[in-house]
Amino acid sequence: MLMHRRLSLGVRVVLALATTVLAGFPVYWMFDTATTPSDALYRGDQSWLPDLTRAGNVFSVLASDTPFLRWLGNSAVIAFGTTLLSLAIAVMAAYALSRYKFHGKGLLGFGLFATQMLPEALLLVPLYSLFAILGLLNGLGGLILVNTSFAMPVAVWILKSAMDGVPYEIEESARVDGCSPFAILQMIMLPIVMPSLAAAAVIAFFDGWNEYLFATTFIEDRELWAASTGLASFVGEFSTPLDTVFSAALLFTLPAIVFFLLMQRRIVSGLTAGSVKG
Amino acid sequence: MSASAAPTRDAPPPAKRRRRRQVAPYVFAAAAALYLLAFTATPLFRGVDMSFTDTRLLNPTGGRYIGFDNYVSVLGGAAFWNSVATTLVYTGATVACSLVFGTAAAVLINRAFPGRTFARAVMTLPWAVPTVAVVLVFRWIYNDGTGVANQVTGALGLGQPNWLIDPRYGMLAVLIATVWKVTPFVMLVVLAALQSVPDELYEATRVDGADGLSTFKAVVLPYLMPTLRVVALLMTIWSFRRFEIIFLLTGGGADTNTIVVHVYREAFLNSDLGTAAAIGMLGLVLSLIVTVVYFVMERRAMLQEGDR
Repeated sequence: MLMHRRLSLGVRVVLALATTVLAGFPVYWMFDTATTPSDALYRGDQSWLPDLTRAGNVFSVLASDTPFLRWLGNSAVIAFGTTLLSLAIAVMAAYALSRYKFHGKGLLGFGLFATQMLPEALLLVPLYSLFAILGLLNGLGGLILVNTSFAMPVAVWILKSAMDGVPYEIEESARVDGCSPFAILQMIMLPIVMPSLAAAAVIAFFDGWNEYLFATTFIEDRELWAASTGLASFVGEFSTPLDTVFSAALLFTLPAIVFFLLMQRRIVSGLTAGSVKG
Repeated sequence: MSASAAPTRDAPPPAKRRRRRQVAPYVFAAAAALYLLAFTATPLFRGVDMSFTDTRLLNPTGGRYIGFDNYVSVLGGAAFWNSVATTLVYTGATVACSLVFGTAAAVLINRAFPGRTFARAVMTLPWAVPTVAVVLVFRWIYNDGTGVANQVTGALGLGQPNWLIDPRYGMLAVLIATVWKVTPFVMLVVLAALQSVPDELYEATRVDGADGLSTFKAVVLPYLMPTLRVVALLMTIWSFRRFEIIFLLTGGGADTNTIVVHVYREAFLNSDLGTAAAIGMLGLVLSLIVTVVYFVMERRAMLQEGDR
């Protein structure tokens, strides 16, 4: 028995190591490429190990003549805006769907789910013409609005599942005390579903941070580009050295990774509260 | 919170208890409903409308109604059906691979071993990497001649295919990048479900002397099934509409022209918005069918599980 245990532990460690290498390699390779001089990259002469003395090169894009820092800032504005707006709307909608019966409830639920099926590419042209009429093109606010329409339904889904798992009795005493529905939501429900709120926040943030298609189509001014647009503009052009391009990719990736690792525990518990418990 | 929370503040004053109960849900749901109406339903209906016109990109408001002409020509051409086949291959392979690998990784990471925390962090990392960055690094990995992919296949004696150009390898290249990116999501969700499997279930089979795999099949898998079905649906829907990773890797060439990429190319490369909208609508119908089939199967599965 003990022998068997030890063997399976060994197999487990080896498999985990292999999976870790596969999962981590592209990120590692981004770093390795960013620290290799570009002439070596063009020669096809990239070392498997990064040259740590050149680790500072990870920031080289900030010294280049592209406004990459500015683009990162734009992406941060888009991401935080999307997160705040999505959560504000989603918290209320999730509470309504979880706790009340009302006319159009089924329709709202279906509508929210159906947005998950709509390809962005299909809505791109109609949204573009709609935003042109509303004067929302070429501004970060318009991108926050459009990202929210995709991020908010996911947040509703996560929050509703979490709220479904909260017993009614908890709110009942507050209701007897005469609290308004809004106060109950704010003071009682929200603190309980905090982990799910955090998970929804991270997912909405990623939506805003990563989004490329709308950001690229709706924004004309180079100064207002999102980092995703700026980074994609390097693909297939040769004026920016490759190591600089990868330094940009890394700087675009790092905030997302750090944010994600900090929130990881909450994401897992938030995603699974209620909905996928089995 | 933010400005959009304001409407509820203007909610009717709490008059009578009975009344308030009826008003509250509408106030709570209003923002989301209006949002859906403005930014999803409106453009969607404009898209439906556009699919019956001959609208061109350079004159987006000057389209004339031409009935079902767009649909007839789309359904009559090979390009659309190719893109349907490509979408099915892409979706099927993405769902199958991400579910198998994600579940395997979750089972692997579920029990303690030295370095587990680190391994788990790295294994979930791909999910956090922005798609454009994923594309950039995979383009470099697939780079013709010098890329890592060619070095590996060269060393294995498999030749050095041009991954993103060669129609025999384009789909594989796109699939590898996609599965790498989406598998962590499956892993995270399955891991959470695994952690809710009661220990007694494991204990019972261990006493019976069952080995790991049969324990998994007999005890854990049935417990995971509801979770896996939900994840499978999400993965299917998301794969159906995934655009960026495919378009930025191959531009829809090398046999990777999925429906969504086809829509984009028809609209922005062919400047034919009417046809693009028609293709998009047909794609939407297809994913609706998949969703309905899913819900029917889900209901049947739940009934069966209820029998046991």
